[in-house]
Amino acid sequence: MVDINLKKKEGKRNYLVFRESEINGNEGGDALMSLFWIVIRQLAEIEATMATSKKVITREEWEKKLNDVMIRKEDMNKLVMNFLVTEGYVDAAEKFRMESGTEPDIDLATITDRMAVKKAVQCGNVEDAIEKVNDLNPEILDTNPQLFFHLQQQRLIELIRNGKVEEALEFAQEELAPRGEENQSFLEELEKTVALLAFEDVSNCPVGDLLDISQRLKTASEVNAAILTSQSHEKDPKLPSLLKMLIWAQSQLDEKAAYPRINDLSTATLEDPAV
Amino acid sequence: MPTATSTTATATNTSTTATSGILHRLFSTDQDVKLKALRQLKNQIIGNRTKKLSFLKLGAVPSVAAILAEAVLADDGDRNNSFNKNVIVQSAAVLGSFACGFDAGVQAVLAAGAFPDLLRLLSNLDEKVVDAGARSVKMIYQSKLAPKYDFLQEKNMEFLLSLLNSESETVSGLGASIITHSCKTSVEQKILFDAGVLKKLSSLLEGSLSQKDSSLESLATIFKDNPEVVLKFVGSESGRALSSIIELVKDKFARTRLLASLCLIVIRNTSPCYLQDIAVKTKLVNTLLELLGDPGQVGDEASFALSSLIVQKEDMQKLAFENNAIDKLYCHLQKDSLNPRRFEGILLALADMCSKLECCRSRFLSSQVLNSVVDAVAHDSADVRSAACICFKSVARSIQNLSAGSFLTEAVVIPLVRVLDDPSTSVQVAALGVISNIVVDFTARRSIFIKCGGVKQLVQLSKSMDAAIRLNALWALRNLMFQAESKCKEGVFMELTASLLASLICDPEPFVQEQALALVRNLVDGCISSVEYVFAEDGIILDAVGRQLQSALKAEIGIQGMYVLSNVATGEEFHKEAVLNQLIPHAETGSQAYIIKFLQSNDSRLRTAAVWTVVNLTNSLSPGAVDRLEILRGAGIVSQINNMQNDPCLDVKLRVKTALGQFKTLDTCLSHTFLWRLPLAGYITLLSFFFAIKAV
Repeated sequence: MVDINLKKKEGKRNYLVFRESEINGNEGGDALMSLFWIVIRQLAEIEATMATSKKVITREEWEKKLNDVMIRKEDMNKLVMNFLVTEGYVDAAEKFRMESGTEPDIDLATITDRMAVKKAVQCGNVEDAIEKVNDLNPEILDTNPQLFFHLQQQRLIELIRNGKVEEALEFAQEELAPRGEENQSFLEELEKTVALLAFEDVSNCPVGDLLDISQRLKTASEVNAAILTSQSHEKDPKLPSLLKMLIWAQSQLDEKAAYPRINDLSTATLEDPAV
Repeated sequence: MPTATSTTATATNTSTTATSGILHRLFSTDQDVKLKALRQLKNQIIGNRTKKLSFLKLGAVPSVAAILAEAVLADDGDRNNSFNKNVIVQSAAVLGSFACGFDAGVQAVLAAGAFPDLLRLLSNLDEKVVDAGARSVKMIYQSKLAPKYDFLQEKNMEFLLSLLNSESETVSGLGASIITHSCKTSVEQKILFDAGVLKKLSSLLEGSLSQKDSSLESLATIFKDNPEVVLKFVGSESGRALSSIIELVKDKFARTRLLASLCLIVIRNTSPCYLQDIAVKTKLVNTLLELLGDPGQVGDEASFALSSLIVQKEDMQKLAFENNAIDKLYCHLQKDSLNPRRFEGILLALADMCSKLECCRSRFLSSQVLNSVVDAVAHDSADVRSAACICFKSVARSIQNLSAGSFLTEAVVIPLVRVLDDPSTSVQVAALGVISNIVVDFTARRSIFIKCGGVKQLVQLSKSMDAAIRLNALWALRNLMFQAESKCKEGVFMELTASLLASLICDPEPFVQEQALALVRNLVDGCISSVEYVFAEDGIILDAVGRQLQSALKAEIGIQGMYVLSNVATGEEFHKEAVLNQLIPHAETGSQAYIIKFLQSNDSRLRTAAVWTVVNLTNSLSPGAVDRLEILRGAGIVSQINNMQNDPCLDVKLRVKTALGQFKTLDTCLSHTFLWRLPLAGYITLLSFFFAIKAV
């Protein structure tokens, strides 16, 4: 939860309590938030003065406001560390820890294990990935039928990709068919996957996208998320959701005022308001 | 298709060979081979129910249990053997997976005697061993087959606290799971509270995701139906722990939100004085409505949680209604391929929404929900069919729509009559519940129900071996008879027969007796010709009623029976005499007439019914009234009624006044002229004679 104080023009103090589920819990999220808060604050100010026409805020005014916001360096670092850890950049996280002194909120060794699983799926070694997940924590696949099905489905896809038709059929019958009986939506997905076998030219068939590399990435990220959740860690880094909030806040403010906007998120440069 | 067949055959063969191969290698003397086989077995069964079952049948569990036992012993001898530790970890994981979500597996693990060995792992020095052991024991404790943990033993409580205090998430989670599984009685709840478990669990609310979740579940278990513990919890640290549960309703993880909501619902239902804050209530309702959208288990359970929040609580139903609960539930109901559990939950939540408030029912009926519900009556899953009926019943409580005859259409009645044949008793009972409601009809559309074969079915079910079905079938027939036209009554009576009715009146189950009597009461209500029904087959029905009244233990039976007699007593002289004969036995055995007992009953409804009968018997317009009054006086009934002039119940008092008035008239009548004594029937005969002459 984030509480901030708003100063209004009259000098009255107003207490705004804001809650956003995605930024809940960790103070690391506060850093980039400040920009977001400026926008929110501006919004509140404008609403308070009941401006009838669009207010124009010059670059100087805006930069002054930005400079007034204190951002703790530690918070900024936490945000970066959160990103590195969640995305699994273990070497970078290690370096960053040494350089900035920021402690990761998770044991870095577990990241290595998680990345090994993710990589195995990305390379098509699904069986290997399954064994690694089970070594890490047998509960993950035992209590997550959907993930288990998707991994098995990916295994089937790899068999088909490698032209092992008989093995693929056997595997579908042995391992996947019983799952389909347990769950209607699994059955539909299974039918779609087996349909790959019916086409001579799989690259040009309606279910061909299953063979696409993006399917592997999808499965890999699902496993990654499940492992993170089992370690009581959030499955998504905070940074992207902060950027989403920034975009939301800017578009809200657009209706009320002209101000130096950030249009290019990769450079984060303020652009002069069009008057 | 010869090729396809052969492929299948090969597939089965290879897999059987692979399966037995693994089991074979478990017994290898080569430790490496053994360990590999364990790992392979683990990877085969995890997430795969079918494989669990086939390995279970091949006796894998006792083999793995034996390996674990051996390795645990070896570990006692040599604590630094890391290879042996790995064997322990792998075999514990295998046993844990067998026990995961699979009751047959739990049973096998317990039967193989592995449970004590798994428990011993918790005190091992190696973190990985502890973790593997805790995970497996937790799996067992998530099944209802797990042995009950005895909190009353001091050393057990110490052990539990040590688990809860553990640094390891898995171990503290296990502690919470044990509580959730084994804490059942208020004594156990109290002793856990006294041992400081609640404080520990509250601190876990600040912990990791899994700690929060398992703590919320255990807290709910300790609170359930125990206002004393809830009071102490809410009061402690000025409600800080309670506020943190309220905070968790807004948690970012769906499962945590659900568990926190469930915990608050338990507190509310246990001690209704708490959580009356409108903001909290609204938050709960909205959270649960939003969780309905979760694609997984959380979404399945959200509707059940919503039900427990609103059941029997009009204020909560209203609040949910104002937050568009009906529309939202309907929206989820319309989704394709709903799994049965979710379908059932949504229907039951709709049932609870519509159980009291007319606004909910009209919202329900104005959308197309009813169609979906009627379709669900024919669903594959018995739970869904039953839930659909319960939902429909709740909606069909709407007098407004019953009056409009909205429900008696072929589209509705046909599936309902069909489901009366259902193989599941609970579905049949639920369907009878709907029918009971919809046949209360004011628009003469009962014929649709009869035309669809409904009566035949109901009569058939009234002969069921299952008392609940007999009860509900009779209930439906009773409502069908409520103010029914004589043609309808005749049809039903022909189907039922006097002898069946008489035997149902004497059913071994008092609840069935009551419904049978109520059915007869409605049957003989109304015009005089319908009174004749109880005299069919030498009056066996009336005799049965008399017998039940003689021995009635429940007030309800007395009430329904007395109203039968009361209704019959509105008939002709002959009917009145028959009632009197039932009330006052011919052979004076010296015992008191049962009506005296009823007149003295504590139940005002029973007193009313009894006085009504006397009123109908002594109606001063009938010729035999004077004589009947004498008989009643002789049996001490008149003096009893005299004593009731100041009855505390207004209804009784009013009837007593009428009765006494009639007594007075009859007493004075003795000296009156011929015309006054000429009975009503006499007038009618005279009149018809007069008209007959005119017609000629």
